[in-house]
Amino acid sequence: VKAISLKNRRLLVRSILVVVYIAVLVLMLLTGKRHTILIDNKDAEDGSYLAIDGMSVQIDKQESSEYYPGDRDKAMVNGQKHTIRVELFSDGKIVESSFTLPLGQDMVLLSVPKLVAGIAPYFEPFTIQLEQASAPDAGPLQSTQFGGDTPPNPEEGPPAPVLVQ
Amino acid sequence: MSAKKNIGRFVSEYAVLIIFTVVTLAAIAPSGLSINYIIQELITRLGRNSFLVIALLLPIYAGMGLNFGMTLGAMAGQIGLIFAVNWGVAGWQGLVFAIFIGLPISVFLGWICGAVMNKAKGREMVTGYILAFFISGIYQFFVLYVLGSVIPIGNSAILLSRGYGIRNTLNMEPVRQAFDSILMLRLGPFSIPVVTFAIIAALCIFIVWFKKTKLGQDMRAVGQDMAVAEAAGIPVEKTRIIAIIISTVLACIGQVIFLQNMGNMMTYSSHDQTGFFAVAALLVGGASVTRAGILNVFVGVVLLHAMFIVSPLAGQSLFGSAMIGEYFRQFIGYGAIALSLVLYAWKSRKAASDARSGLRGGASGNGNGTGGQA
Repeated sequence: VKAISLKNRRLLVRSILVVVYIAVLVLMLLTGKRHTILIDNKDAEDGSYLAIDGMSVQIDKQESSEYYPGDRDKAMVNGQKHTIRVELFSDGKIVESSFTLPLGQDMVLLSVPKLVAGIAPYFEPFTIQLEQASAPDAGPLQSTQFGGDTPPNPEEGPPAPVLVQ
Repeated sequence: MSAKKNIGRFVSEYAVLIIFTVVTLAAIAPSGLSINYIIQELITRLGRNSFLVIALLLPIYAGMGLNFGMTLGAMAGQIGLIFAVNWGVAGWQGLVFAIFIGLPISVFLGWICGAVMNKAKGREMVTGYILAFFISGIYQFFVLYVLGSVIPIGNSAILLSRGYGIRNTLNMEPVRQAFDSILMLRLGPFSIPVVTFAIIAALCIFIVWFKKTKLGQDMRAVGQDMAVAEAAGIPVEKTRIIAIIISTVLACIGQVIFLQNMGNMMTYSSHDQTGFFAVAALLVGGASVTRAGILNVFVGVVLLHAMFIVSPLAGQSLFGSAMIGEYFRQFIGYGAIALSLVLYAWKSRKAASDARSGLRGGASGNGNGTGGQA
């Protein structure tokens, strides 16, 4: 009975470790997932709302940026829950809101005029063909060969194997 | 006479260390680099490389020599990073995510490596070296054909234009220097990545603690004499496999730390030189195939990288071509390993020869010409 109990206890400990392992993985995925928010200040196509004539927008604790009609900029955020703070230049009115981004959505379009007008939802998925994020010319190329700094062959795919006779 | 013998012994013991120190010091002036620049570079490179070099210690304690098989762990770390970039996990969370993806792979590869090395006792280094080539082929197959075709890759920016396989260069902008930038301490003109050094310090404490545990003592016993350890009831093969698994797991984490500092990854070649570099650093630090410590790691990384920093510019200044310095860097890296291994082999043979002479001397002293066994 004691042997079984010990076996069960070991199984329990291992199971807990596996659960903790998976939980950490999921936690890192949820809190570290990067999203791009396109902050948009444009009129609605149907004229239901108008672009704001001068405002500053701050996402989380990032540096705030100024927007005028027709402007669009982007903010990079990690995780799903965020806050936005909008200060209108015309009357000094401040609008604050929290929102949760879908995990699977890399990029969303956030319409500030919609937010200020109280139209929900004020953000929508935005899908584009991503620009090259891993092009050979992107980022500093450094060789790892014995601490070298010279770039290796940046061509796509691995170098051709050397035939040894 | 005794002092002369002691000096001779010291020189033969630390030949690589002495040569490196002399050459590096001599190259500083011609390089024209300021001391502040060199120190800042050394701080950065200490944070980047120390973890990988420390990963070599446990197999040495277990008598398995320099673990060239650590490359397997580096490949596991790279696979973790590919998935982190693919799923867009950024910041330090992306690095932890990559480590957690790489961990089970490195444990599995470490187990394979340890099991193979148990079949090749006494030839662990060359076995690990060749095994790394073999697993590198499987890694290339996995990354070049399986990723994107069998395992879906959502981030088309990291895929080859044909739709499957990962690009040669992986831009790790989302996780670039994520550990380093958590807390950067400014000390005068120097920037110190506190978190990275804290991780390295934690590993050093782990190694010191581990050596005192039952398993650590078993490893040292196995490293000193496998037959005696077996007779004492220590599971020799299991202990050796555990040493290699821990080394491979540490190499996985070390490669993630290394690549986050570099900021980009050569998908098919970043792991190639990992083992060589770590081994060279450890040997330059005064370690040998059978004896190494934490101090050797830091001395070795500082000396090897000081050489790497100054040699191209010294080559440019002395010979009119930076390539001479680059060649010198390669030459000195491989040369350090070769010299150290030759010295080790020479010392082993000399010790065996001395032991035989001692036995003969003892036998003749007894007036028995038939040998010491009588």
